Amino acid sequence: MFARIVNRARLMFRSTAVRLSALYILLFALCAAFLVFYVTALSEKTLVQQTRQTIQEEIQDIQRAYDRGGINLLLRIMERRARQPGANLYVIAGPSGDILAGNVASVQPGVLDKEGWTDMPFGYTPYSENQGARRHLAIANVLRFDNGLRIMIGRDLGDPSRFRYIVRQALMVALAIMGLGALVIWFGIGRNALKRIDRMSAASQKIMAGDLSQRLPVGRSGDEFDRLSESLNAMLGRIEKLNEGLRQVSDNIAHDLKTPLTRLRNKAADALSEDREDVRRHALEGIIGESDQLIRTFNALLMISRVEAGSMAAEMSDVDLSAASADCAELYEPVADEVGLALVTEIEPGLSVNGNRELIGQAIFNLLDNAIKYAAEGGGVPEIRVKLSSAAGLIRLSVCDNGPGVPADKREEVTKRFFRLDASRSKPGTGLGLSLVEAVMGLHGGRLELSATDEASAEAPGLTVTMVFPAVKG
Amino acid sequence: MQTIIPHSGSADDSAGAKIASDAIVPHMKILVIEDDLEAAAYMTKAFREAGIVADHASDGESGLFMGTENSYDVMVIDRMLPRRDGLSVISELRKRGVNAPVLILSALGQVDDRVTGLRAGGDDYLPKPYAFSELLARVEVLGRRKGTPEQDMAYRVGDLELDRLSHEVKRAGKEILLQPREFRLLEYLMKNAGQVVTRTMLLENVWDYHFDPQTNVIDVHVSRLRSKIEKDFDKPLLKTIRGAGYMIKDEG
Repeated sequence: MFARIVNRARLMFRSTAVRLSALYILLFALCAAFLVFYVTALSEKTLVQQTRQTIQEEIQDIQRAYDRGGINLLLRIMERRARQPGANLYVIAGPSGDILAGNVASVQPGVLDKEGWTDMPFGYTPYSENQGARRHLAIANVLRFDNGLRIMIGRDLGDPSRFRYIVRQALMVALAIMGLGALVIWFGIGRNALKRIDRMSAASQKIMAGDLSQRLPVGRSGDEFDRLSESLNAMLGRIEKLNEGLRQVSDNIAHDLKTPLTRLRNKAADALSEDREDVRRHALEGIIGESDQLIRTFNALLMISRVEAGSMAAEMSDVDLSAASADCAELYEPVADEVGLALVTEIEPGLSVNGNRELIGQAIFNLLDNAIKYAAEGGGVPEIRVKLSSAAGLIRLSVCDNGPGVPADKREEVTKRFFRLDASRSKPGTGLGLSLVEAVMGLHGGRLELSATDEASAEAPGLTVTMVFPAVKG
Repeated sequence: MQTIIPHSGSADDSAGAKIASDAIVPHMKILVIEDDLEAAAYMTKAFREAGIVADHASDGESGLFMGTENSYDVMVIDRMLPRRDGLSVISELRKRGVNAPVLILSALGQVDDRVTGLRAGGDDYLPKPYAFSELLARVEVLGRRKGTPEQDMAYRVGDLELDRLSHEVKRAGKEILLQPREFRLLEYLMKNAGQVVTRTMLLENVWDYHFDPQTNVIDVHVSRLRSKIEKDFDKPLLKTIRGAGYMIKDEG
């Protein structure tokens, strides 16, 4: 039974609301206790001070009366005052300390011996009460005359236990109010906010189970919880989209690798059934060529994903883009020449970026490869232009051809992995060239732009691919 | 076309290897440290066909032991090995004063991977998968490097002469005018005369780019160079080695 209660309490304590409320109660209780004690102490002190002041005034009155009318006047005044309701305490005592007159039956021994203020509250018995009745506490001032006569004027401090009772009462009320407040807080947070958190975690459970289309509930208040849900939902949307993209890519990869693998398999089967040595050798050579192509495709895919993951970011340095583009153009110039294309360069000298020379080189190679592959087709001017310029904090490296170009609505798609225009499917290539270029640009904080070289030309608009780099600062 | 390790060697491959074995590399002895036993068996067999004695170690520790105890002309070391990482084998070998050239094989294939490999003391780097002809050509060039002083100021193959100081190229006493890049291409070919030089090696050493040139860019440059040095002469010097690359050689 006890164990169960403890267990239950422990479970309850796991809730943030309960923990918070408990903490609040504790804090408030401490504050309240401090306040109550502070206020009582302060009021007690003020009370004593006021009492002392009235006593002091009375002492002065008595002194004056004695000076004016001697002992008789003194006695008369004291007699009169002592009889008033709620009067102060008055004692007239002889030199030996025995009480001669006044409204007090007895006082704590020793009080009357010392002249001036009593050090501490002392006990006394009022005259009216029976012997053995409870003692009261008082403070007093004692005056001693030359003839040994002593006068004490004091004031009752009231019943101290009653005072404590009031203090305790106030504390209890305060604690009760705080307990109630804590309950309200707990209901406020626990019943409302915690329920929402529970709903959120329930929704995340479903998402973790694989249902990425689930969204967290969003209320109308627009408070912190709603804002949290909204940003988590936005994140989920992005993840879902990326996941979708990934699935599409792997679908594409599977599809695009299946074709050459099937071809490979067929060629192997052919070679196996072939008896003539030279034909068999030819088929085997075909198989090797096919495998090489597959390996290239895999390498390119791996390269793209590594570049996209940014794992090469470590090897960044100053790359002289002017030199790199001139080098690449020089390397490709004879290749272009072979298919009857002129390679023209318009390179602004001295432009450099922070980047990876190998990757930028490979990107330019890919663009030149593409340009040479397709430029010869259109009826346009047989030339390829490599342009490098800088403007407005950007460095633009363009490779322009006058081939058939890419229709405007397909320009976004050609950078996707394995995407190839129908017209180019017959040409050799992996369909990964521009994907790599785009990934390289992403790594360099730049972007890839595709446009027509000559918008006006219908049959040979050409394609201009521009690598846009952010310029190096300073 | 290139052949790719691992998996079966092909007729084309051994043909490439046989041609290479005709080169003047008598009894080169190399050490292959590779944990993939199938690939290692294929490699040692193919090296033997090319006239190269290849010892094999299958983990880093035994490779380090063999490399320290015996004297090899070239070592081919896989980057990822059991018991001791390939790069650590290389730096330990260097620490022990073994100066044989090292070629690093790596499946990682990242651009900065090559840099770390060379920094660790490697002399050349080849990402997997690779064609055996590529590996063979690189091993032969590395093995030969020991004997050829870098300081040779002039190269000569048959009646073709190249002066590295004056940048003059002459054939049979007649001056041939070359573009700067053509000069560097010929310089690299002649420095490795009698040895197969692959397209990737040319791209690396003449243009300083380290990836597989997927199109025929290098071929076009070589054929331009060839027409300049062979056009008016009878004897061909610059040969195309099928499935491998190029070789400049005077067949006497």
